[in-house]
Amino acid sequence: MTNIIKIENVWKTYDLGKIKLNVLKNVSLEIDQGDFAIILGPSGSGKSTLLNLVSCLDVPTKGNIFFKGKNISEFSEDELAEIRGKDIGFVFQRFNLLPHLTALENVVLPTIFQGKEEKESIGLAKNILESVGLKERLNHRPTELSGGENQRVAIARALINNPEIVVADEPTGNIDSRTGDKIMDILVELNKKEGKTVIVVTHNNDQVKYGNRIIRIKDGEIVK
Amino acid sequence: MYYEYFKVAVKNLRVRPLRSWLTILGIVIGIFLVTSLMSLSEGLKNSIMGELQTMGGDLIIVMPGEDMFSSLMGGNDLTDADLNSIERTRGVETIVAMPWGAEIVRYEDEAKTILITGISFERAITLLKEDMGWHTIEGDFPRSGRREILLGNLVAKNILPDIRVGDEVTIKGKRFYVSGYLRSLGNSQDDSMIMMDLEDFRLVTGKREGAPMAMAKVVSGFEVADVVRNIEESLEETRKRRVGEDTPSFSVLSSDTVSDMVGSIMGILQVAVFAFASIAIIVGGIGVTNTMFTSVNERTKEIGILKAVGAKKSDIVMIFLFESGIIGLIGGVLGVILGVATSKGAELILAYANQMFYLEAHLSFFLIFFGVAFSFFIGCISGYLPARKAAMLEPVDALRYE
Repeated sequence: MTNIIKIENVWKTYDLGKIKLNVLKNVSLEIDQGDFAIILGPSGSGKSTLLNLVSCLDVPTKGNIFFKGKNISEFSEDELAEIRGKDIGFVFQRFNLLPHLTALENVVLPTIFQGKEEKESIGLAKNILESVGLKERLNHRPTELSGGENQRVAIARALINNPEIVVADEPTGNIDSRTGDKIMDILVELNKKEGKTVIVVTHNNDQVKYGNRIIRIKDGEIVK
Repeated sequence: MYYEYFKVAVKNLRVRPLRSWLTILGIVIGIFLVTSLMSLSEGLKNSIMGELQTMGGDLIIVMPGEDMFSSLMGGNDLTDADLNSIERTRGVETIVAMPWGAEIVRYEDEAKTILITGISFERAITLLKEDMGWHTIEGDFPRSGRREILLGNLVAKNILPDIRVGDEVTIKGKRFYVSGYLRSLGNSQDDSMIMMDLEDFRLVTGKREGAPMAMAKVVSGFEVADVVRNIEESLEETRKRRVGEDTPSFSVLSSDTVSDMVGSIMGILQVAVFAFASIAIIVGGIGVTNTMFTSVNERTKEIGILKAVGAKKSDIVMIFLFESGIIGLIGGVLGVILGVATSKGAELILAYANQMFYLEAHLSFFLIFFGVAFSFFIGCISGYLPARKAAMLEPVDALRYE
């Protein structure tokens, strides 16, 4: 299998004035197309920083990141935004839905920046929301939905532009474990049935079972 | 795509309706001031220019004083000697001197203060009829020695509505008879006057001689500019002959020159009015900037989300510009509506309360379009810096913001 993301000797350093904080130290890894990768580590280990780099939200201080063969470490912000919009779907721990938009509007939102036809997007969004079991919740706002429902809206939003990769940062961190399992099941299904590459960041050891690739990280370094 | 930005922007504005409306109000006030003041000052200009244009182009106005202002302000009149010398000047067909003064006019039980003009009808009748378009609707022009008065159109219609030709009025204890009333002269100030023979006027007001100004009609075939120069020369001679007279001071202007002067004075006035009203719009614009900066700060996380799902810098800028542009546009539309309503209201109130002064608010398509377009422009300009700040946020930092 070909790698979709390749990270080579990457450093991420935050300049805090007097001290320089190395959050990632010489990290290298590859994620292949179709992988279900779990990035596992305690809080403060640098796993979210790693996810930000993998998902093109951020660029490394040193080292190279290849996304589908292109070196994106030197990309401009707008070039990264283009990749994020087309190829990456995001699921966040705190859902990060816009509170004043309905579930349907939240799901349609990413299509605006791809210049897609609104009618088609709405139809597609309804289908996706239906497939995650939210057919009856289209016009509810995030405050009117439960944590699990909100996370399913967020997954629907992540899928609307049909990305190759879905990244999830602690997707079950803000919901109870039973609902969390359902969320993980949805991600597994996406990986198995639709062949999407899924990358999940978690500190929960139990979730290791879902992944075919486990990346353990501690103090900014990958633990073998 | 722009329609989507528009929808997103409208939804954002509706999240905090009170703040949005207060910001819009700031723009409304500025645009309201521009629209109402510009339409009223344009109306004022039109009404003055209209009055000047009722005089033909071959009329010359002679006033004492160096320039128009001192002659309007100062009490010095043209003397009878001056008037005679003007009339004798080469190229002058006839002159009309129209002294005026306000007097209390009693008719039956009513007493109204009305402007009275003294005219030497015998001399001026052709000039009045042919050059200034004076025609009676009923009755005739006053004959000298008969104690007759001629009513302006509005005097007969509104000021003393029951008065009829042949009726008797009392002015300063003296009786006069209405000989007729005029067709409208085109502006309500002239239409609100009473005209009487010059001799009667002098008797009533006690103004023995002279007039604050005179109008001279040019003999056809003469150049107006030449006749202006001739009048200046003959007036200078007349005044030099008089003992103890200082350097002659008077203005001889063709009606075209007067129109030009008034036009430029009104132009300056309008620029000043526009400048002051613009200050209000700028203050409104600063309000928009302030609101938008607050909004960017509050929505840092939201901006991070938008960026995460693929929004480029230009997308973020557009969303925020649409918001501030919509604020400007709504403010502009409401401001124009309020401005139009106010200037029309002012027009009605003036027409109702004061027949001496007439003003029609001038509402052009351009003014309305300009008001709306300008406020939209101000909205966009005011939103640019906040929009740029939003666009420059790093997605990772913005997402972390709580």
